[in-house]
Amino acid sequence: MRPIDVHAVLQQSVPGTYADLVTRPTGRAVRERIELTIAGAAVLRMDFSGVRCIDYSCADEIVAKLLRTVQVLLLRGVTDAHRLALEPVLQGHGLAVAIEMGDLLEVLGPPEAAAQVCEELLARRLAERTAGGALALVAA
Amino acid sequence: MTRLVDVPAQFDDRTFEQFAASFAQGAAGGERLLFDAHATEWASPYGLVGLLVAGQAAHASGRERPLLTVPANPRVLSYWARAGFFQQAALLFEIHGKVPKVKPAEESDVLLPVTAVRAAEDVHQVVSHIQQRATAILTSQLGIDPKATMGFAMALSEACQNIVEHAGTGGWVAVQHYEWRRRLAKRVVVIAVGDAGVGFRHTLEPTQAKRFGDRWGDGAALEAALIQGTSRFRDPGRGQGLKGIRGYLSRWDGKIAIRSGTARIAIAPSWDDDAPLTEGLSAFPGSQVLLIIPEQGTGTP
Repeated sequence: MRPIDVHAVLQQSVPGTYADLVTRPTGRAVRERIELTIAGAAVLRMDFSGVRCIDYSCADEIVAKLLRTVQVLLLRGVTDAHRLALEPVLQGHGLAVAIEMGDLLEVLGPPEAAAQVCEELLARRLAERTAGGALALVAA
Repeated sequence: MTRLVDVPAQFDDRTFEQFAASFAQGAAGGERLLFDAHATEWASPYGLVGLLVAGQAAHASGRERPLLTVPANPRVLSYWARAGFFQQAALLFEIHGKVPKVKPAEESDVLLPVTAVRAAEDVHQVVSHIQQRATAILTSQLGIDPKATMGFAMALSEACQNIVEHAGTGGWVAVQHYEWRRRLAKRVVVIAVGDAGVGFRHTLEPTQAKRFGDRWGDGAALEAALIQGTSRFRDPGRGQGLKGIRGYLSRWDGKIAIRSGTARIAIAPSWDDDAPLTEGLSAFPGSQVLLIIPEQGTGTP
């Protein structure tokens, strides 16, 4: 499954060349563009490489709202700066996402939602447990 | 006839009430307003943005275009010009006095000149600009972890979005860093965002007034927005912006204060003695947001 290049979608969604995912209208435009391409997919991979900053409004509009229809969201290229916005938004909605860290996966979100995402990842064979108990991404 | 509105000699958030009272008095009649800044010796970004807000409100009220006498002190005048104030003021005021022709500063304490915010596109530009200008200053001069400078951009973005989403009109943002000798003996970064829009009370009234009953007013609206994170939208994802700003400021021992209508709310760290909630102030249009982030790691006095 090829990840969606969020930075590229941002460039297509707003006039001007910006690397920041900020403002609710921008978040909405990016999400709607993504929704057009995924057509009812249960699992979605998104690549945040090249996105410098994401604010709470965009995190809410894109990540939280995509999770209304998508069951598992796998994110890559997520920086500490992105987490600043993602964590409180996921917490506020009781949602979780999986973050790719090389071959391993980290599930970000409140414990109950995180446990559910772990189960989904294992059930869909998108991830497997390593000997140490961590979640590893299963090669597609 | 012209009514005089005095601009305080030291014009910042502390003297803002003097200005608001003078403006409320002047605005009570239908006469033309004259904003008199000739004796002003210093203005913070909060003061400059507040002056534009008052000018916009006077301009929009249908009376004759307001007058502005510029500071007599050439050093102050030059700073206001470098801060981008006159570029914006020229659209609202009939300016009296010679304004120096200088470009907004690239290498100075002005991190973001006074910038108009009307739409999401403006917020993109503000965030983009501040990241290019501010990162080095935040890390080298304020001792903020480089990773956390992105949080600064997020806080700025959310503060500006309040204008775009709620004000119903345009507003301004300005960011500056300076040495706060008397108040804190540290360097600080100050973000000021203001608009002459409808204010928090009007925005939240349809969904929150009933809940507060007799207590409903500007103060209760500010409390609902800043403390309780409520929004006019029923969507649970709304109201995250101010909450996020609070979280960021709390981590860096910063301060937030919001003034709207006749009330002002503040979440102040230990180094500041601002009142948590002040009501019954002079009516002032729209909303004014103040964020202050102090230099880290040298201990609070």
